[in-house]
Amino acid sequence: MEFKVSPLTKIISLSGFLALGFLLVILSCALFHNYYPLYDILIFLLAPIPNSLFSKSSYSSSDFMSEASNNGSDLAHFLTGMLVTSGIALPVVFYHCDLIGSISCTMSMLGGLIIYSSVVIFSWFFHSNWDSEEDALFT
Amino acid sequence: MDNEREERLFRLPFKIPTFQGIRTLGVYLSGIFYALGIWTFLDAVLYSKHANASDVHVTFIDWIPFICSTFGMLIVSSIEKNRLLQGALNGESSLGSSLGNLDSRMAWQARSVLFFGFSLLAGGLSGSIVVLIIKFLVKDYTSYPTVGMGVNNVLGNVCVLLSCIILWIAQNAEDEYSYSLTL
Repeated sequence: MEFKVSPLTKIISLSGFLALGFLLVILSCALFHNYYPLYDILIFLLAPIPNSLFSKSSYSSSDFMSEASNNGSDLAHFLTGMLVTSGIALPVVFYHCDLIGSISCTMSMLGGLIIYSSVVIFSWFFHSNWDSEEDALFT
Repeated sequence: MDNEREERLFRLPFKIPTFQGIRTLGVYLSGIFYALGIWTFLDAVLYSKHANASDVHVTFIDWIPFICSTFGMLIVSSIEKNRLLQGALNGESSLGSSLGNLDSRMAWQARSVLFFGFSLLAGGLSGSIVVLIIKFLVKDYTSYPTVGMGVNNVLGNVCVLLSCIILWIAQNAEDEYSYSLTL
């Protein structure tokens, strides 16, 4: 991490990135007057929450014999995988059921992935001691 | 870079994945498969509601197998795996002591609950196949967009079963590992 970028630049560029994601999703709704893809934003905003909740508690008690923390992080990983996959699958299912068009499907999927990755990169920048590889798997 | 500072055995440009990493990957994979199962099933439901040209619709009967396999997965993955192992080890060598009795009774309970969970999972899968046959194939709805609703139901249940198997393997491998450490 020898980037030599000031934190302010990171924050500004990440917020621009996040706004781009929101713009893509909202545009995919508003261009076609069909507001179903807005659920994608909700799912991708929920997706980083389980890992951020459970990573703290498993970090404080890093005893490898204890299993309670392990169970918590397992649940967090399971929920993360589930939410990210459902965020990707939601526009595809809507497209298959003729609720939204193909352009709208692509735009909302890309926008949701941009929102999720910007949230993950944000937490990765500012908790540098966090175990980053596990979260960067799904960006 | 701090990568070069730690000692490495091979000159590979990437790190060899550790056991813990594989386990984490397995849990992620299980979550991915569960979400795939949910969305394959919900695809059938939404398709029946919004884009259906035929006169067959998804009703509550199609939901029952999926609910069964979800409950089965919940039961199977929420049971404490150490109870099974502990009972199997102490059950044979217990010389009538009360502690061994307690352990074997606990292991028996764990085994019966586990059996219940697995039978719920298998019942979900076979129930979805039954729905596919009785509701679609017998009544000659064999053209694709219509029979796709039944096929999606089966595929969703298969995905949930696969996710449960992956989760079980990942967690059990970890249990054996830590068990050999505690010995």
